[in-house]
Amino acid sequence: MKISLYALVFVVSLLSAPARLLAQDVSYEQLLHADATPQDWLMYGGDYQSQRFSRLTQINRENVHRLKPAWMYQPNHPLQPFETSPVVVSGIMYVTEPLSTVTALDARLGTKIWSWTPHLPEKIYTVGVHRSNRGVAVLNNTVYVETLDAHLVALDATTGAVKWTVHVDENDRGYAMTGAPRVLDGKIIVGISGGDVGIRGFVDAYDAKTGKRLWRVWTIPSPGEPGSETWGKDMSGTGGAGTWGTGSYDPELNLLYWTTGNPAPDYNGHNREGDNLYSDSLLAINPDTGKMKWYFQFTPHDTHDWDAIQVPVLFDETVDGKPRKFLALANRNGFYYVLDRATGEYVTGVPFVTQTWAKGLDKKGRPILLPNTEPTPEGSLVYPDGHGGTNWNSPSYSPQTKLFYVSAREVGAYTVAGEPKVHFPDFGGGGRNALSGDDGYGAIRALDVMTGKLKWEYRMLAPTEASTLATAGGLVFSGTDEGNFFALDAANGKLLWEFTVGGANSESNLITYEVDGKQYLIGASGNCFVAFSLP
Amino acid sequence: MPGSSTVSEKEAANIVAYLRTMDSTTASGVATGDPKKGESLYNSSGCSACHMIAGQGGSIGPELTRIGAMRGATNLKGRLQDPGANLPQVGEGAFGNRWTQYLMYHAIEKDGRVVEGVRVGEDSFTIVLKDAGGKFHGLWKPDLRSLEKEPGRSFMPSFKDTLSAAQLDDLVAYLMSLKNAQ
Repeated sequence: MKISLYALVFVVSLLSAPARLLAQDVSYEQLLHADATPQDWLMYGGDYQSQRFSRLTQINRENVHRLKPAWMYQPNHPLQPFETSPVVVSGIMYVTEPLSTVTALDARLGTKIWSWTPHLPEKIYTVGVHRSNRGVAVLNNTVYVETLDAHLVALDATTGAVKWTVHVDENDRGYAMTGAPRVLDGKIIVGISGGDVGIRGFVDAYDAKTGKRLWRVWTIPSPGEPGSETWGKDMSGTGGAGTWGTGSYDPELNLLYWTTGNPAPDYNGHNREGDNLYSDSLLAINPDTGKMKWYFQFTPHDTHDWDAIQVPVLFDETVDGKPRKFLALANRNGFYYVLDRATGEYVTGVPFVTQTWAKGLDKKGRPILLPNTEPTPEGSLVYPDGHGGTNWNSPSYSPQTKLFYVSAREVGAYTVAGEPKVHFPDFGGGGRNALSGDDGYGAIRALDVMTGKLKWEYRMLAPTEASTLATAGGLVFSGTDEGNFFALDAANGKLLWEFTVGGANSESNLITYEVDGKQYLIGASGNCFVAFSLP
Repeated sequence: MPGSSTVSEKEAANIVAYLRTMDSTTASGVATGDPKKGESLYNSSGCSACHMIAGQGGSIGPELTRIGAMRGATNLKGRLQDPGANLPQVGEGAFGNRWTQYLMYHAIEKDGRVVEGVRVGEDSFTIVLKDAGGKFHGLWKPDLRSLEKEPGRSFMPSFKDTLSAAQLDDLVAYLMSLKNAQ
């Protein structure tokens, strides 16, 4: 057999250099031990604990001041919020772009490998929903994405070809999907958006191979079910309680932790007397059965739009000589909570921003309400505002410092009660009027993870909705509302690096990864997706 | 919800709530003076040294070409009497934060140099001030010894004691006539 030298070189090159580009498979075993491959960023939150902590150390507090842009990428559909949290597998990055596009990039070069865009209907209902997408999930050789018109789609990780599509719910009834799915062993878990227009929230599980629905957990009980008495009347069809965040998972306890949004109508509770379970709650779900093991409600009978969809961060700590499993959540209502994640028992809760609506939390973590804080027709000034003490943007936790890093919003708003409207799509109950930006500010706050006590803060100009990323290099990265990325010393909050991108709202979830021995940091600001590395 | 991308009934309610809490004088009041006399006063009082109308005048203060379409008579009269008070705000209104325009700052750099000016741009790490001569100063906040807001202050003098009530009304009438001067 004659083989030309050229062909031989071609075959050899296929076998060597591009091998990095052909190994996108991610097993469940890898996901379970995501910290063993810190060069990848395998899922939303970085690991099942959602700690958003990277063990990479090439970029560290000594050299971060030299960080420079390596490449940039701009999405196809500009002028929509770019909120993606990328997943990186063996040098390939999967990002989502508004509206529901998935793009695979070479993570070292920023070069597009493939892109997939769904055929969305001309009319999409996204009332109260950003027309954006927060990322994909990857399992084996499949990329899973939620679409704005409420479908779950499985794509081939190598080509972007569609493997299957399932219709999750009716977009023309207000159901929309913007979150990143969570993959478990053979299951895809998704939540739903649209809580402000009177959907009935749920958490769904689908078979990873076939797309068959395995179970659905409703966030609003049917009449007669436990919790239904907390609505005053049957609101199971329109009570809201969306599930648009991405949950965390404890494989040892086999519990999935998923959070829920506000009850509807949002600023007027007269139509829904009671605690409104399971709105503004955290649900602990057995993913094998779809049964709720326990729940914890943060804001009973919410009238300020304080969705509890913040990311639950799982951490372990020894208390009184005993190893314990905890869950931390900095809530939109202004309180930082620690729960026992095995039992749901309330451990502690303290304000992490100025809040004027509760005297505190009682022994079970229920807020003790202050008078005159309900929305009124004239407007009632309450801290935090409707965007909350923090929002959907992820916090991070460093096991090295035992600090919880959250982008905190210090601002109040006049909350206005309007006439309750309860017929889709005309749904609502008032609104809010935020104070001037000059009367508020944003801050990265480092909290003692067990007590919530403030260790340090770094102030920003505007109240911001940006994630934080903690690294073993002793750093915390985040972004500002004005379009800056920056790095702080994780131990003391000292500013170590800043880069101005200029686009408003550096809101995407920053992540870090490594390709060919080089560590990168990446985040989106405005319509630009920027990767940084050391020169 | 994180925000909104289409205007719904709810968002319309937000806008109404926002408008309700806006400066009530922004679009109120009726100009009762003589705009011709007001124009003369404008020219004789040195206003054009700092303000531009239809391409003529200085650029230290805000342009006034369309000021009559942007503000109400009560608001303008108040501004002439107390220029640093009740400053206008810009921004996203009901869906985000608004920011105060023409806010004055007093900055001291590490070497002791003082910069005083009106904020024209700011982010978490930088601020650009325009001084009384119209010069821009871009400052890196971490390098500053101090940076203080000066609410209530303005480079513009008050005309409260230098013009009579009738003259103020004339000047307001002139300013209100500037809908889109060419």
